[in-house]
Amino acid sequence: MSFLDRITEGWRKNRKPGYYEDFDYHWAMTIDLDQCSGCGACVTACQAENNLPIVGEDAFTKGREIKWLRIEHYWEGEYPDVKLNVIPMMCQHCDSAPCETVCPVSATYHNQDGLNTQIYNRCIGTRSCAVYCPYEVRYFNYNDHTWESPLDQQLNPDVSVREKGVMEKCTFCIQRIRQAKDNAKDDGRRRVRDGEVQPACVQTCPSKAMVFGDRNDPQSQVSQSLNDPRSYKVLDELNTNSSVVYLKKVEAEG
Amino acid sequence: MNVSIQPALKSLQTAALIAVVAVVGIFVGYFIDFLITDNPEVSAPEQPIAFSHKIHAGDNEIPCQYCHTEARRSPSAGVPSVNKCMGCHNEVATESPLIRQVSEYWENKEPIPWVKVHDLPDFVHFTHKRHVQAGIACQTCHGPVETMDKISVHSRNNDGPTLLASTTGEIMNSETSAVAATQNDHWEMGLCLNCHKQHDVVDGKAVRVDDGGFDNGLDCWTCHK
Repeated sequence: MSFLDRITEGWRKNRKPGYYEDFDYHWAMTIDLDQCSGCGACVTACQAENNLPIVGEDAFTKGREIKWLRIEHYWEGEYPDVKLNVIPMMCQHCDSAPCETVCPVSATYHNQDGLNTQIYNRCIGTRSCAVYCPYEVRYFNYNDHTWESPLDQQLNPDVSVREKGVMEKCTFCIQRIRQAKDNAKDDGRRRVRDGEVQPACVQTCPSKAMVFGDRNDPQSQVSQSLNDPRSYKVLDELNTNSSVVYLKKVEAEG
Repeated sequence: MNVSIQPALKSLQTAALIAVVAVVGIFVGYFIDFLITDNPEVSAPEQPIAFSHKIHAGDNEIPCQYCHTEARRSPSAGVPSVNKCMGCHNEVATESPLIRQVSEYWENKEPIPWVKVHDLPDFVHFTHKRHVQAGIACQTCHGPVETMDKISVHSRNNDGPTLLASTTGEIMNSETSAVAATQNDHWEMGLCLNCHKQHDVVDGKAVRVDDGGFDNGLDCWTCHK
């Protein structure tokens, strides 16, 4: 088979309709905005789980803070009739991700679990992915970050500490997914059970607004949640086909 | 008007000289770097006690996992506790000067500060458990430990993550044995990836296949973290 044929075959494979439904797992998350109070516990949990640095005042004022998961605030109405709407925003793990196509070194790619992943070692820091991301959820390490003792003791050993010049983003806590798969193999199971793996944010959410699971399994909690009539995707008109689905807030009429 | 080009040439000469020196410097620098980084050096750190794997695993044929018990059930193979050493050495060779050192640690209730030889960089996720349970022999990656008096790895003399397993090149499998043979595979991504490309997992065991490799085993996040 010639080189060209191989490329064509690979291209066809990736262009096949329904290719993304063939995944072994298809991790997805739903966030019920009716239950979300915007408390920010998920933000803190993410920070602790994924070794996110505290960038400091200088970097913060330059807009260089790193938060894989952030709570966006939208104010509605005029004083005194103001209303606050919140929406937790993290990497949407788009199946047609704009960021993947622009990476010159393929540091970000789609893996067999339907995750949009980032390989830190491979990243050369062009930041094009951040430019193309419509959700603005990719964060660049403008500096090397250090943890003063004893804070370095709380770093998660399953997650590498990213260095300067590397792009990073939410991974759906891939280290936990890997661990769950490992446990499943130990038990002689082929698949991870529903609810066995939870990202840090889902685990922490006090109002259980977030649900995480395998979309391929029609019985899973997340699949049930996806069928909710309130469900919508952020910036769906861009056809990113994201894996994070929000359930609209129910409001009183008038 | 009479204009001389001599001053211009003078500066050109200097520029040419700088260019030549720079080019030569680059080549010499590259060569020196090549000499330093691509020449594997044997790294065999001094251990607190001159423990010999040859005597234990080679001559007396003690299975690796008798002492490294965690290999089959945890990501890390683990270093045996002093308790494990004393289990045998309460009776065996108690008068040897090296064993006296061990019993000293035992009596002082202190762990032996063994020095780690085979170390992976922090961005690599590796579990012994999966590999041992798949029936891959320890020697596949660690080399013929049973012939080593002192554990050594060939390491590149830089601060990079590369180590060179001082194997005979045999990538072994406890069932099929002699799976692939590459002389002096570096202890780096290629060593992992070659094996992952050539093997499939059938009923939890690694089996040689000609092409393909196993599902999900070639995903970057299988090993990277």
